[in-house]
Order: sequence, then C-alpha cells, then structure tokens
Amino acid sequence: MIWILQTAIGGLSTGAVYALVAMGFSIVYRTMGLVNFAHADVVMIGAYVTVTFFLTAHLPFGVSLLAAILITGALGVVIERVLRPLESRDLNLMLIGTIGFGIVLESLAILIWGSFGTAVPTPIPNLPLRFGGLVVTTYQLLILAVAGAVTALLFWFLDRTKLGTAMQAVAMDRVAATAMGVDVAASNALAFAVGSGMAAVAGALVGPLLYVSPGMGASIGVKGFAAAILGGFGSIPGAIVGGLVFGLVEAFSSGPLSAYSDLITFVVFALAMTIRQTGIFGERTVDRA
Amino acid sequence: MRIVRIGPGTPLLAVVLVVLPVFLDLYKAHVAVLILLFVMVAIGLSLVMGFGGQVNLAQAAFFGTGAYVSAILTSTYGWNPWLAAPVAILSTCLMALVVGLPALRVQSHYLGIVSLGLAVAFASLLTNATFTGGASGISKIPPLPMPGVDLTDDYNDYYLVLAVLALLVALARLIAGTTLGRRLRAMRDDTLAAAASGIEIPYYRLLAFLLGGLFAGVAGVFYAHIVRYVSPDTFGLDTMFLLLAMVIIGGQDSVWGAAVGAALLIAARNLLTGLEAYQQLVYGALIVATVVFAPRGLAGAASAARRRLSFPWPTLPFPVPGPRRPPAPPPSVPEVRDPGAPATVALKVEAVSKRFRGLAALSEVSLEVAAGEIHGIIGPNGSGKTTLFNVISGIERPNGGRVEVHGRDVTGRRAHQMSRLGVARTFQNLRLFPRLTVVENVMVALDRDPVRAHLRYLVAPWSVLARERRHRERALRLLAEFRLESVAGEPAVSLPYGRQRQVEIARALAGRPSLLLLDEPAAGLNAAEQEDLKALIRRIRDAGVTVIVIEHNMGLVMSVCERLTVLAHGRVIASGTPWEVSRDAQVIEAYLGRDTAHQEAV
Repeated sequence: MIWILQTAIGGLSTGAVYALVAMGFSIVYRTMGLVNFAHADVVMIGAYVTVTFFLTAHLPFGVSLLAAILITGALGVVIERVLRPLESRDLNLMLIGTIGFGIVLESLAILIWGSFGTAVPTPIPNLPLRFGGLVVTTYQLLILAVAGAVTALLFWFLDRTKLGTAMQAVAMDRVAATAMGVDVAASNALAFAVGSGMAAVAGALVGPLLYVSPGMGASIGVKGFAAAILGGFGSIPGAIVGGLVFGLVEAFSSGPLSAYSDLITFVVFALAMTIRQTGIFGERTVDRA
Repeated sequence: MRIVRIGPGTPLLAVVLVVLPVFLDLYKAHVAVLILLFVMVAIGLSLVMGFGGQVNLAQAAFFGTGAYVSAILTSTYGWNPWLAAPVAILSTCLMALVVGLPALRVQSHYLGIVSLGLAVAFASLLTNATFTGGASGISKIPPLPMPGVDLTDDYNDYYLVLAVLALLVALARLIAGTTLGRRLRAMRDDTLAAAASGIEIPYYRLLAFLLGGLFAGVAGVFYAHIVRYVSPDTFGLDTMFLLLAMVIIGGQDSVWGAAVGAALLIAARNLLTGLEAYQQLVYGALIVATVVFAPRGLAGAASAARRRLSFPWPTLPFPVPGPRRPPAPPPSVPEVRDPGAPATVALKVEAVSKRFRGLAALSEVSLEVAAGEIHGIIGPNGSGKTTLFNVISGIERPNGGRVEVHGRDVTGRRAHQMSRLGVARTFQNLRLFPRLTVVENVMVALDRDPVRAHLRYLVAPWSVLARERRHRERALRLLAEFRLESVAGEPAVSLPYGRQRQVEIARALAGRPSLLLLDEPAAGLNAAEQEDLKALIRRIRDAGVTVIVIEHNMGLVMSVCERLTVLAHGRVIASGTPWEVSRDAQVIEAYLGRDTAHQEAV
C-alpha cells in the first residue's frame, strides 16, 4: 500500500515536468496550429542555459532559471519567425521542418557545450522527509511547487491579461481576431516565447534528476509531446492531466520492470490513442465532405 | 505513354554503379554498401510517408527489427543466415503492421507521435533486454555464406547489395507508377474522395506500412550480415531523423528522390568524419530550408526545372473557344433501363436520421428516386442536403432509417463499398486529388481491382503493366469525351475551376456507376458552362445513370430535374415535380419567409 503512494509521488513529480513540456507544446499548437517538434530541444537548451548560469557563473538557481526563461523565450521568437511559412500548412512538412530545427539546436548545443553531458546538483539540499512510512524528497516538493506556480501563472496570463485574452482569441478564430485589431503575428511570437519559457522551466527542473546532455530532449520531449496528445492536443488542462498520467504510468511500470518502462509506457500510450484518438480532453473534429 | 519511364539515365546509372568500386578504396567501398542499404530503407519510408501519407517515425525501428532478428537467429540460435533472412523480413513486415495499426484510428501528427513513441519503446527494448545483447549489441554475426564468393569482402558485398537494390528499386518504381502507388497517393491527397472512389482506406494504410517494413527488413538483414555487428545506437532516433531528412531533401513522393537523398546524407556523414556537430548543423539547416523553400525536395525542384526547360505541353488556360459541342455520353455506362418495363426504384431512403452531438442534421428523411430519373434536392443552406448525400454514399452512418439502392439494403455500408455498388458522387467543395494528374484522378476511380490483386506486384509484375496500359487508354477515352484529353498530364489543381468540376464528374463516371450524386455541380460555373452542365446531366441520364443533384441554381434545377425533394431543417417539406414544388407554400416560406409565402398563396 505504502509502495503505491510512494511510487505515485515519484510519478507525479516527473509527471509535473512532462506537464510543463506538454503545456508548452499545446500553447503553441492552439494559437498557431504549429506542431513544434523542436520544443524538445528547447527544453534541452533551457536546461543547459540554467546549468551554465548556475554552475559556471555561480548565480543563484532562481536567477539562472529566470535568465534561461528569457533566453529560450527569445529563441522561441526566432523559431516562430523562421517557421512562419509553415504555419497551418501541410502537417508532414511542419513536422519535418520543426524536427530539422531541433537538429540544428542539438548541434548548436554540441558546439557550445560539447557532446558529453553534465551532472547537476540539486539547487536545494535534497533531504528526505518522512511522513509515516512515506518518503518525499525536498526536491520533489520543489518541482511540484514550481510547476504548480508556473501553471497558475499561465492560467492567470491567459484569462486575466489583455495579451493572454488576445492569444486565446487568435486560437479560436484567427481572422476574427485580426478584424478585432489583434496583431496576430505578435501574438504568435508571444505564444512561442511563453511556450519556450515553460520549456526552460521544465529543462531546469529536470536537470538534477537526469543528466543534462545535448540528446536529453529526445526522451523528455517525446514523452512531453505524447502527454500533450494524450491529454487532448491544444487543451491546457489536458496537457496537465496527460503529463501527470504519463509520469504515473512510467513510475508504476518502472517499479517492477525498470528495463521495460519505456516499452510499457509507449505501448500503453499507443493503445490509449487507438481507443480514444482525441485524447482525454480533445474535441472530435468532423471532416466535412 | 509513360507508365514506368526508362530514359537513357537508368542504363547510364547502372553502368556507373557497376564500375564504381574500381575507384573506391576499402573504406569507401564499405561506405558505398551502407549508402545502398540506406537507399533501401529511405525508399521504404518514401512509400509509407511520401506516397501513403502515413507519418511513420518508426522506420529506423523496422530497419533494426530486420537486423536484430537475423542477428539473433544466426548468432544465438545458429541458424543458417539464408534461412534466417526470410524469417527476419517477415518479422519486420509483421512489426510494421503492428505499428501501423494505430493508423487505422489516428493520422498526421497523432500518428507521428504514436509511431515515434513505439520507436522509442523499441530502442529501449534493444538497450535493456538481455536477448538483444543490451547496450553493447550483438557482434560476430556470421556473414552470408555463398559458395565461391567471399561475402566478408566489401567489394563482393557491394555487388550483392546492388543487385538486391536494383530489384527493390524496380519494384518501388512499378508500385509508384501503377495502381497501388496511385491509390496510396490518392489516399494521401484526400481520404474522403479516395474512399468515395472505391479505395478501402484501412487496407491501404496498413499496406503502406507493410511496404515500409518490407524494404527496411531486407536492408536490415543485409546490414546485420555485412557489418556483422548491431547495436541499439544504429536504430535509434538519430537514424530516424536522418532517414526523414533523406526523404524530405530528396523529395517525398519520388523513388529516385529518396535514393539521392540517402546517398547524399550517408556519404556526407561517413566521409566528413570528425566534423559531426557541424555536419549535423548543416543537415538540420538543410531540412528547414527544404521544407520552407522547396517543400517537394530535390525531385520537385528537378521536375520543375525539367518542365521549364522542355517544350511546353500544349495546354490552354481556359476551355477551347469555338463551336460548343456538348460532351458525348459516356458509352461505357451499362444500360440499366428497359424502356418497356415499369420504372424500378434506384434509390429508396426511408426515415433516415443523422445527429451530430444532439444536433439533428436529418430527421426521418424519406425519398424515392426512380431508375433513370434526374432528381433534384433543394433547400436552404444547412438544411441537411450534403449530410443526406454523405449518408447515401456511405461517408456518414445514419443514426436510424434505411437506405436501399436498386432494392438492396445498403444502410451503414462504407464509402468504398457504396462506390463498388455503383454509387458515385462529386463533392460540394471539389475534392480532386490535387497532386495527381487529371488522367490519374480518373484512373483512381476507373480501376476496380480488389486489394488482393496487388499480389500481382510480386508474382506477375508484367501483368500489372499490361493492365495499367488498358486502364490508361480507357481513362483517356473518357477524358476525350469531356474534351479534357489535352490536359490529361497536368496536375488536377492547375486547371481552371470549371474544368476541375468536369474532371470530378469524369472521375465519378469512371467507376461506371448506376447512381450518380452531384453536390452543387453548378457552383462557380459561368453561364456557358452551366448550359454545358445541363446537357451533360441529360446525357448521363440518357446513358442509363440515375442522377441526383443538389443545387442552389434554380434555373438549372427547374429545367433539368424531373422531380424535386425539398429539405429544410433536416426534414422533407415537399416533393414532386418542379412545378408542384414551386407552388408549395411551405417551400416558399422556407426560402423567402412567412410574409412572402402568405402573399404568394393569396
């Protein structure tokens, strides 16, 4: 019994990271219909930038994280500008174009930081806290707290600010939004910046758990993307739920059969998508004749 | 008439490839073998993605399946490599079908992420399982035994792989140029229209994956026994993205494009060693530049250049002026009506209902169309006309009611089945296959080979070519009746709108339907084209086809249709001859509002 709770807590804390990645994917997708595979590598860049400020420049973790958010945000604006011709175009091209951009980012990371990874210490002392038989580490709590705060901030931004509302309007109807005086291009750039900033938070948080390396985007990005799809692509609550579910499935499958955890997670995901192709919160779209 | 074009390039290329090893040192010969193997895998990927439109990010995993199954059977269980090879290839095909199963339900980026997820799962299995040798892989795989030939020698390997590749390229080119490739491309361009033209979409999605698996499996087997070492790194995401880059840079729907893309990238990767990061940067940037500036890759750029250089195809931007001769009736349509016998019922719709999430698009709609009739369906926008067509043609399943065609209950049949039962349709918003040529659009509907007929590609490839020639001749004859033969080789979307409408009707007739559903055929046509259309509809009927027309153009409806059914808010509000319907108060109200109806009635 205690094992189940213990595993669930581990799953939720990695799930929170996946949820952050998934939300970043979704916010870009819903505003501009762009499926951004390069997002995974933005996570990696975010992790590296944080690590660089934190370990090399010896800045506090929070400051490093803020710097990483700003830098990846700017990177997001660049990606949006380059890939703008692909928006709402042939999905295959979009997919491949963004994968190509991801490859560029990965090779830039190799050129800047080398192809070997870096181990990162946790920013706060990682102490085990005991609640009865249950062990929760302080870093797990930090992840959950930061992810929760960022999510709350995102909802506040989308629902309560003028810029956020404009972004929602673009997501619903781009033409109508233009007619209402929303600068769609600027709004898209902002969406990309926000999504990329969230990727940086995810990268920074996951750094101490994994090894920060140029290839880290592949595993965490694929899982984050899969989580977004599982939740219902384009839905922010869906991204959160999808991320947490992914973390949990992974945690429970890696307990007894750790070697086959990825295998089990993705087979479960494929089955889930085959059964309910719109994901948990997705809307079914009707193909009109 | 080109089906599979063999220009002077192919023999020249063959000579170059045969002579090439003479100029290569041992390492370069090895790289050449790798290039040939990757060309196989890339061609497989271009068949799945470029032709079939199925986003398959597991091609590297298929490659790995072939290699690992053969490696394990020979190294661990001591099988003879020639015995292990077919088993490995079949296993890869099976794996491809399993990965392809989600494609029956999800498409585009959803399918991309599902297949990518399964590829990650496969890579993790290779790394973690003990029977795969874990992260260090399997080494000392036996070479392929061949009496008198040493297949540990890279030069000999080169010729063996070249021969296999030649066969596979021939097969891929045959597929690309004939029925199977055309159906895959039709499905990619427009799934709904493909289904309405008689293509069984689920089979062709799986078939696309199967082809990808076949090519990757063959390459995997040779890879295992030539390199004699397999490890998880070779078949991971990096390789997948490399394959993707090959296909995109080369040109998605071109067999040669994929081959050239593979050759360029593998040569670059292996000959520019030590510069990995820069080379990755360059190929990443190349992919981005290709999709942004040249979305159809090298092959697309090459064919555009060829078109610009060669003598222009004799086409006119608009229909030929001069004596307007209405198209002759299609002679291919069977005579279903016996003039003496009483009119039989071609279509009977009984109390059909269709709801979309509680919104009733059709409620209890009933109508009967006699064989040989021209029947009009009219009604305000949103009255359910197109939904009714969708139900009759099998695109939507009704929530209730019954549809009979020529007395046969066909309720709930799928679109491809309806097409094969003789129900053809056009679409309100024109659904041609945009990247197919005009003649190919017609051929998709014209050739009615069942799926199992594709076995011919393996057992009797020459018969495929013979049939292809016959189908093409018939398609050209049909196009000639529409005076479209001069544009037969043009991409369908390059035609002016009115001619595209004609192509769509020609495509619908190509399947020799007994019932033709035209959804707003006059939309966007000018007055002269509308007159042509009236004559065409009458001639189609005279050839024995029952025609049902949805139309807003009242002039056309009143002059062509013999009976009308009027829909409003998903219900039949009137039916009868055009004259009767035009006097009906309810109809006038539906169109013009209550006051007018009242005045008219008085």
